[in-house]
Amino acid sequence: MEYKITMPKLTDTMESGLIVRWLKKEGDYVERNEPIVEIETEKAIQEVPSFKSGILKKILVPEGEEVEVGKPIAILEVKSSEKVQQQTTTQPMPEHKEQVVKKEQHEEEEKKEKKEEKKQPQVKVKEGLASPLAKKLAAELGIDLKKLQEKGEIPSPAHEEDILSYFYGKFFTSDALEIAKEYEVSLKDAVKHLGENITKEKLLKYLKEKSAYKIVPVSQIQKRLIEHLSKSTQVPTYRIYETFDTKYIDHSGEYTLTAWIVKIIGDVMQNHYRTRIYYNNGNYKVYISSNIAIAVAVDEELFSPVIKNVSEKSLKQIQEEINQIKEKAKNKRFEPSDFEDGTFAVSNLGMFGISMFDAIVPYNYSGISAVGAEEKKKIKITTTFDHRIINGKEAALFIKELKEKFKDKSYIEGLIK
Amino acid sequence: MLYREALKKAMDELMEKDETVVILGEDVGFYGGNYRVTEGLYAKYGEKRAIDTPIAENSIVGNAVGMAIGGLRPVAEIMTVNFSLLAYDQIVNQAAKIRYMSGGDVAVPITVRMPQGVANQLAAQHSQSFERIYASVPGLRVFTASDSTSAYYGLKQAILLDDPVIFLEHELLYAKDFDFVEMKDFDVRKQRIIKEGNDITLVSYLKMLHDSLEAIEEVENTLGISVEVIELTSLNPLNLEKVFESVKKTKKFVIVTEEPKTGSFANEIITRVIENNFYDLDAPPLKICGEDVPTPYNRKLELASIPTPDKIAKKIIQWGKENGI
Repeated sequence: MEYKITMPKLTDTMESGLIVRWLKKEGDYVERNEPIVEIETEKAIQEVPSFKSGILKKILVPEGEEVEVGKPIAILEVKSSEKVQQQTTTQPMPEHKEQVVKKEQHEEEEKKEKKEEKKQPQVKVKEGLASPLAKKLAAELGIDLKKLQEKGEIPSPAHEEDILSYFYGKFFTSDALEIAKEYEVSLKDAVKHLGENITKEKLLKYLKEKSAYKIVPVSQIQKRLIEHLSKSTQVPTYRIYETFDTKYIDHSGEYTLTAWIVKIIGDVMQNHYRTRIYYNNGNYKVYISSNIAIAVAVDEELFSPVIKNVSEKSLKQIQEEINQIKEKAKNKRFEPSDFEDGTFAVSNLGMFGISMFDAIVPYNYSGISAVGAEEKKKIKITTTFDHRIINGKEAALFIKELKEKFKDKSYIEGLIK
Repeated sequence: MLYREALKKAMDELMEKDETVVILGEDVGFYGGNYRVTEGLYAKYGEKRAIDTPIAENSIVGNAVGMAIGGLRPVAEIMTVNFSLLAYDQIVNQAAKIRYMSGGDVAVPITVRMPQGVANQLAAQHSQSFERIYASVPGLRVFTASDSTSAYYGLKQAILLDDPVIFLEHELLYAKDFDFVEMKDFDVRKQRIIKEGNDITLVSYLKMLHDSLEAIEEVENTLGISVEVIELTSLNPLNLEKVFESVKKTKKFVIVTEEPKTGSFANEIITRVIENNFYDLDAPPLKICGEDVPTPYNRKLELASIPTPDKIAKKIIQWGKENGI
């Protein structure tokens, strides 16, 4: 039977969500709890798992579109034996009882589903042998189309492209062929230029001479990031460059330099309320706690999860949270709440040996500290501030206290006791 | 330049140069035309050259045929193609035949201008497309005007031609403002390349040309290809040289027309492309036409009965995916 997947309510305030990326295609089999779609709310992008097992029959809302909470976004074909409500929301964290199904029965059903899956390809390819052009070309090139199609070496129906890639593909080594396809280079031209024995090296040289390129579409996540960053750059900002003493900070063992810096900044933020402000539609949202976002790169995507209430947590707790964040980042399993309530951010490129850089303030945050590499027990930190939230004097006082705290032996030692 | 102004400019210029050129039809004179195409011509040339006629289509064309035999070059306006059925006998049995039956002695240089197609809720009797009917009559010439450029040059060439011409316009184009392209070598019989491309050849005319152009952006983005668009300015004679050349390059062919699909003029074009380009084709031709129903009055149903930019894009994308594009 059909089961409608609706836009889930992922946060209390969520009214609508944007479909960032479908992780499954129409016709795909989806396991219960398997991520099916990525949805962006006001603050974060989150994977949403399917509430039921079944075949994704139809995607109702394409990528890049926003819909209200509760509106159907896809139709799942589920086994009729499973009793489901006609319309149930997918759950971000489904917690329901495991159904007791006999193993045999389960496997059988799975087989059936797999079959159904095959029956519903996304685009039905029309039956037939080859286009007139493909036939003519095959005859010209002396290719026995029928035989090769039976062997599965040329698809049916065959098009010009299939014949050409079969014929000219023979002159390429398999890794060279892969590259040729990636860069959509004409195999025929390449053979003309390079002769009949084309290796990866030869092809790469040829492609470089030709200035070949491939077109890579920007992912929805990346598009949103670009949008947010672009908005951020319209905000008036200024930077304070300062060198900090790290002679008392031991980050060789249990605690990373990032943990230390987050902890110290969090403590100092308590004395400078303007760093605890999030600018919100002409209002200042002044948080009582020090909530710091840390920039985390996952593959080529950027996330900024927030460590909350830093001043009340021990260095050890902060280190543990950072470890958890890294774990979540590996699987990209963040929750919307991970991105909420930040007012200040830390970005650390020091581990790559970068001595100094500056970062873009996350939209509506008060500031961001860009941490460079440690040299002779000193680090350079560039802090960029949002001038709408914090003025130069307050920022200077904040940085001044931060600097003192770094040098404060008893304070630093107190943190690891 | 507005489409209707381009049509008027063509007539005005020829009327000024040649006093045998006259216009006739319902309300083309004093009132300035139902679509304001002939506005001002009555004042400029008087009632003898901008002639108001009764609501009698058969006699409008019949009179035009007689005037042409007598040495004039009449341009008749029929309010829409739907009413031209009443003049069908004059058009088919007289206008189209006389030059041939007189051994070439008596030419009938008339032009019958008329709009066709689905406008906005004019219902079944006022929404038809008849290019299939007229283009299949030997002895007639059938031209279409899809924008101000082909309206101006096409109509001028139609009026100057010694053969009877059915000149098809579209009701929804009259008030459209198109960029006018100066062309020294415009030849209505040779079709016109509107947009160059490499992967699909799309042929269309009248309003569907513009709907197709609108649809193409999505097609090109989705399939990552480029589409070549050719406007047919002449349906008879049907010279498809440019289309054949284009298909040779792109290997794929799409035609979009508004008429119902069965027995459509699109079929004729597809037949010729297959005859000529069979071994160039890497996919079956795609025909996008209206549905085989009398045009419904209800706006949603009306739109469902004809191609729209959205439907055109979807159909081409689906077809492209099915055929290895």
